[in-house]
Amino acid sequence: MPDSKKFIVSHAPFWHDGSHITTRNYHTLLAALPAVIFGMIQYGMPAVGVVSLAVSSAMIWEYLLNRITRQPVTIGDGNAALIGLLFAMLLPATSPWWMVITGTLVAILVGKEIYGGIGGNPFHPTLVAVAILMLSWKDLFDFDAALVDYEFDFAVAYPLAALKHFGAWAVEGFTPGGLLMGNQIGGIGSTFGLGIVAGGIYLALRGIIRWEISVSFLAGVFITALIFNLADGARYAGPLFHLFTGYTLIGAFFFATEDSSSPVNFIPMLIYGAGGGILTVLIRNIGVYLDGVVFALLIMNIANPLLDKLRPKALGKVI
Amino acid sequence: MTAKNELQLAYGIAIVLLIIGILSFTAFSAKPPEEPVRIMFKPTAGKVLFTHKTHAELGGYGIDCYTCHHHPEYDESALRPCGDCHSQTQERTEPNTCRECHEEGELETENTPKRSDAFHDQCIGCHKENDAGPIECSECHVL
Ligand code: HEC
Ligand code: HEC
Ligand code: HEC
Ligand code: HEC
Ligand code: HEC
Repeated sequence: MPDSKKFIVSHAPFWHDGSHITTRNYHTLLAALPAVIFGMIQYGMPAVGVVSLAVSSAMIWEYLLNRITRQPVTIGDGNAALIGLLFAMLLPATSPWWMVITGTLVAILVGKEIYGGIGGNPFHPTLVAVAILMLSWKDLFDFDAALVDYEFDFAVAYPLAALKHFGAWAVEGFTPGGLLMGNQIGGIGSTFGLGIVAGGIYLALRGIIRWEISVSFLAGVFITALIFNLADGARYAGPLFHLFTGYTLIGAFFFATEDSSSPVNFIPMLIYGAGGGILTVLIRNIGVYLDGVVFALLIMNIANPLLDKLRPKALGKVI
Repeated sequence: MTAKNELQLAYGIAIVLLIIGILSFTAFSAKPPEEPVRIMFKPTAGKVLFTHKTHAELGGYGIDCYTCHHHPEYDESALRPCGDCHSQTQERTEPNTCRECHEEGELETENTPKRSDAFHDQCIGCHKENDAGPIECSECHVL
């Protein structure tokens, strides 16, 4: 039991009462649903299985870790469920079950609980898990290989892979409108751009995420991609392609904006978002990875405490 | 909602989703199609994505099944992995598979290329012949 006579003040963000956190998490889960349901319809039972297993296993891991560390059980706040759902949204629909539960364990344990639970994590827990899994089993994130058995009425090639391997001509068939409507393969919940944007706007209006971060992230992606595209249009795809493929949109609205790993002041938020966007395109265009969102955001997560030191100067002068 | 209700809701969600998850991975798991739609080969030189169905379909390139699945000629028993007969490493040997249909030692194996040569000869051979489809290494192999 904590010593009830001591009042512990810790680093932002502050946990002011349980129900508030809970509503935020449940609203975020709700906002993610359109994109998730779209993915389930597109990929069928395998997607349903991955999503259900990811959400439930994340909750169960957190329950077990709470028990093992003799802390109060915290899964009521919906945060574990959210971490699991976001994890599933990035995976190919055919991910094996052991990959799903390994991922949620890494997310909950290494991403969150070792920092003392919600609010203490310096990185987005889900991104930590995805990065570790990508480095350990990169074949599992090869969407072309994972989805070989699916047939759709659009080109079934992972757009970012086609771009990297064959150049900009190979992705000319993808129109921005089609990409936004989910006519592309990718993570279960990360291809239906329109649904993700709708969820993001809902969260921004509710004050659950900061629009400044999302908008500056998207602007960073757009401008950097535009510069590359203008410099060499045969090798580098246009800005709208980069906005609507891979994890860009889900990153902008669901990952960059996580409370405890993103800044709270205005200018730092803009730098944080734009930095993530710029790095994303740099990794995509000149790095070895197909998609840069995960690593770009983790790098900005590291920078976050420094960024938040950029504070407005106090008025007046101390003599 | 009180903290206790929240917790009960969470337990409920976790259990229901766990059951759905397990069922989807076991009872309702999708069976792979009889005829492959696309095939991802993963040799050392880099992955190759082969649009199997598009190659065979009339709406695609309309190639007859038995143009590729060539032995024995025009027979369903030919619809099997090329590697069954074209061995991975050794050139011009007689794999056990031959003995399913032929007597041991009856055969000349002179003409049976090893697996990767079989692929290269067949795939690139036809692409060259038709002047359509990839011929350069990097158009097929990606790292
Ligand atoms: C352009 C060449 C080509 C054509 C045409 C073609 N196939 Fe194939 N098929 C392949 C290759 C290559 C493989 C992969 C074999 C391997 O994995 O070693 C394959 C694999 C298969 C397999 C899976 C074998 C296994 O057990 O792994 C089946 C079944 C099959 N094809 C059936 C068909 C049928 C039926 C047709 C006609 C509608 C057809 N194929 C047309 C080249 C072709
Ligand atoms: C049932 C055994 C068997 C299977 C399965 C098989 N082959 Fe063959 N293949 C042979 C034999 C035997 C020869 C040599 C005799 C001949 O020319 O037919 C051969 C020869 C070849 C040759 C050289 C022949 C020529 O005309 O120069 C190529 C190329 C080839 N195979 C490709 C393939 C490909 C690609 C597949 C899979 C789609 C495949 N084979 C599946 C048995 C098989
Ligand atoms: C599924 C059964 C089957 C398998 C397996 C098989 N063959 Fe055959 N093979 C046949 C049949 C049937 C014929 C005769 C009809 C034809 O030419 O397609 C034949 C014909 C041949 C011929 C030509 C013989 C001739 O007199 O024209 C050669 C050579 C041959 N096979 C070699 C092989 C080799 C080498 C293997 C193993 C790599 C092999 N076969 C595996 C069924 C098979
Ligand atoms: C009998 C003829 C034939 C054979 C055998 C064949 N192809 Fe093709 N391939 C084609 C044709 C025709 C096209 C169409 C090209 C176009 O329309 O531009 C094509 C296109 C392709 C393309 C580019 C378009 C696409 O659909 O992805 C790839 C990659 C390809 N083939 C890979 C392979 C591989 C790998 C093999 C061997 C396993 C193979 N092909 C065997 C005829 C063939
Ligand atoms: C039409 C598509 C195509 C083209 C073009 C092509 N390959 Fe391949 N390559 C394949 C396929 C299919 C395989 C067999 C994959 C397997 O074994 O599973 C293969 C296998 C290989 C392997 C692996 C052999 C092994 O034993 O693991 C090497 C090395 C290779 N290719 C090199 C090359 C080089 C070099 C070029 C250019 C001269 C080239 N390939 C062009 C389709 C292609």
